[in-house]
Amino acid sequence: MTQREPIDCHEAAQRLYAFLDGELTPDLEAAIRRHLELCTGCFGLYDFERAYLRFLEARTRAVGAPAPVRRRILDELFGDEARAE
Amino acid sequence: MLKAYRAWDQYERGTNAKAWLLTILRNTYINTYRRAKTRPVMVDVNEIEPYTVFRDVRSSDPEAAFFSQIVDDRVTAAIAALPEEFREVLVLSDTEALSYAEIAATVGVPVGTVKSRLFRARQLLQKQLYDYAVAEGYVRPRREEHP
Repeated sequence: MTQREPIDCHEAAQRLYAFLDGELTPDLEAAIRRHLELCTGCFGLYDFERAYLRFLEARTRAVGAPAPVRRRILDELFGDEARAE
Repeated sequence: MLKAYRAWDQYERGTNAKAWLLTILRNTYINTYRRAKTRPVMVDVNEIEPYTVFRDVRSSDPEAAFFSQIVDDRVTAAIAALPEEFREVLVLSDTEALSYAEIAATVGVPVGTVKSRLFRARQLLQKQLYDYAVAEGYVRPRREEHP
């Protein structure tokens, strides 16, 4: 695999949520990080959106059913499935 | 989750427990938000502009502190007002912390569709919450910063 081309602000904006959700491949993630080190505009945007997602997560989990219970059961199910495979 | 316990006898052993459980979760959330009483006017999906809020607050509130002023009821109402296909991906991602692939399997759409719906759902909700914050005076609109 060759080193990725540097990404521009447009691509950084497009991949914003995939990055924050941890859905990018390691090489793409690294390319984003390199861009953020150089670009204060995109760095600010990513920071702002990260704060927004944290807010959303905290508020919607507070409103919903008990998250720890639900999470534990989901984890057990995912774990069972992973062990079976 | 209680619904899953109650309906456990309907679950067939050997079938996909994860998918079964996620379907219940999804239906529960759809029902919960359908029942929400406060239902603001729906926003036209085509009017969503990406990153408007950050552009507006980058000089006054780059840390997004204004979000913390917004009350829970307003957040719930804004989520309830989202178009259903947006609301479900937002809840499955931001509340349930499912991966894109898990959301795709639960909703029954390709991963690319999950990505675009999640993007628009988050931007639409952010805009609504920002408009509310401006109306309540939690954050100053951009035009007042540069008279």
